[in-house]
Amino acid sequence: MDDRKIQIVIDSLLPLLKAGVAFTIPLTLVSFALGLLLAVATALVRLSSWKVPVLIARFYVWIIRGTPLLVQLFIIFYGLPSVGITLEPFTAAVIGFTLSVGAYGSEIVRAAILSIHKGQWEAAYSVGMTRIQALRRIILPQAARVSVPPLTNSFISLVKDTSLAATITYVEMFRTAQQIAAVTYEPLLVYSEAAVFYLVFCTVLTVLQDYLEKRLSRYSAG
Amino acid sequence: MIRLSGLHKSFGPLQVLKGVDVTLEEGKVLVIIGPSGSGKTTLLRCFNLLEVPDKGGISLGGISLSFDGKRLPQKDVLALRKKTGMVFQSYNLFPNMTALGNVMEGQVTVQKLSKEEARKRALKLLVKVGLADKADSYPHQLSGGQQQRVAIARAMATEPELLLFDEPTSALDPELVGEVLKVIRELASEGMTMVIVTHEMKFAADVADTLIMMDGGVITEQGTPDQVLNHSSNPRTLQFLNRFVDDDRT
Repeated sequence: MDDRKIQIVIDSLLPLLKAGVAFTIPLTLVSFALGLLLAVATALVRLSSWKVPVLIARFYVWIIRGTPLLVQLFIIFYGLPSVGITLEPFTAAVIGFTLSVGAYGSEIVRAAILSIHKGQWEAAYSVGMTRIQALRRIILPQAARVSVPPLTNSFISLVKDTSLAATITYVEMFRTAQQIAAVTYEPLLVYSEAAVFYLVFCTVLTVLQDYLEKRLSRYSAG
Repeated sequence: MIRLSGLHKSFGPLQVLKGVDVTLEEGKVLVIIGPSGSGKTTLLRCFNLLEVPDKGGISLGGISLSFDGKRLPQKDVLALRKKTGMVFQSYNLFPNMTALGNVMEGQVTVQKLSKEEARKRALKLLVKVGLADKADSYPHQLSGGQQQRVAIARAMATEPELLLFDEPTSALDPELVGEVLKVIRELASEGMTMVIVTHEMKFAADVADTLIMMDGGVITEQGTPDQVLNHSSNPRTLQFLNRFVDDDRT
């Protein structure tokens, strides 16, 4: 590698890191936090006996899982203005990613709740708890532990999916890489550098998953 | 007086209870025996509405409910459950809480007692079942017998008027059965009202004030343990009891 290339790599380190920390990470965190709330709510509705809300929840999951995330982002950002709803790129991205995490996550949470032995519900009921109390105190804490590995999967996917926000003019890490590549004519170099940043972010999350799993498993054998 | 009258319960096409009447005085112990599939566990689960009967009535601790196949109001179900405690065959302790946490849970979440008050009462109950030193252990760190004793303390923590036991020793290693039966015997001698489903015939004979034999969804025999176990002339009862004689020989 000649000096010029090394210089380009060094020069783009800071802008990429800045874009990552200031834009990619916040977008990921906000979308995941909101998405998780939506996922739990959707899962609880799916497991309820309210007929119409169950149908709405199923419809939502069906639409989101059945259409490409990129298309959804385009509809939200480029499509909605024609019906009078104009959103900032960040807002549009958060809405798109939240809906996505909510839909996929709801199936994870639903499966985790269903995996808890029916005896746990009965024990909770036998001491006089309502369904909500049983969920909050007994079932969800146990389901949370079961959901950590698959939810970390979603989280890691989301970190990478945020690069799609570049297509709706949100200047996150990948968009920044595109801009640098455009002026330096070194796409291989700059995009690879961006890839390494994504890899580092995801590795941190994997370490976090291990920690969380250990913490939550302190009460179970094996 | 606790009274169940004319209870019917079906699971799909399968009729599990076909008109069962039970009365039990406060402070007495009722033991239900019978072959598997006879409906004894279903009957027990009707006492706290883990199974809601299709037909019949329950009166317990000042609450009277009658069933007609419609959904019961949640407040009636909860009111009845607050009068009862249950011990399960497979313990069903909450694995995310310590032994102490398990015993405190109902007091804090359901009865809204303060944490300190609940802790005091829970510790007293753990002493009673001989597990004061295990208060901070999680269920997976306890033996089956210890878990079941914690489960008994948990069932008593909300001060129920009736304790229900669903084959409390069936999942235990034989050498651990004694410690659990000892606790139940103590409760009986203190005048706790209990309904117990069990296969331990000797224990049943010792602890029961009334013994009920169930078969095919009905009560086939009812009386003192001596009447049912030693002086029955009912061929089904004799056949059932004979199995246990055989068991003892092997």
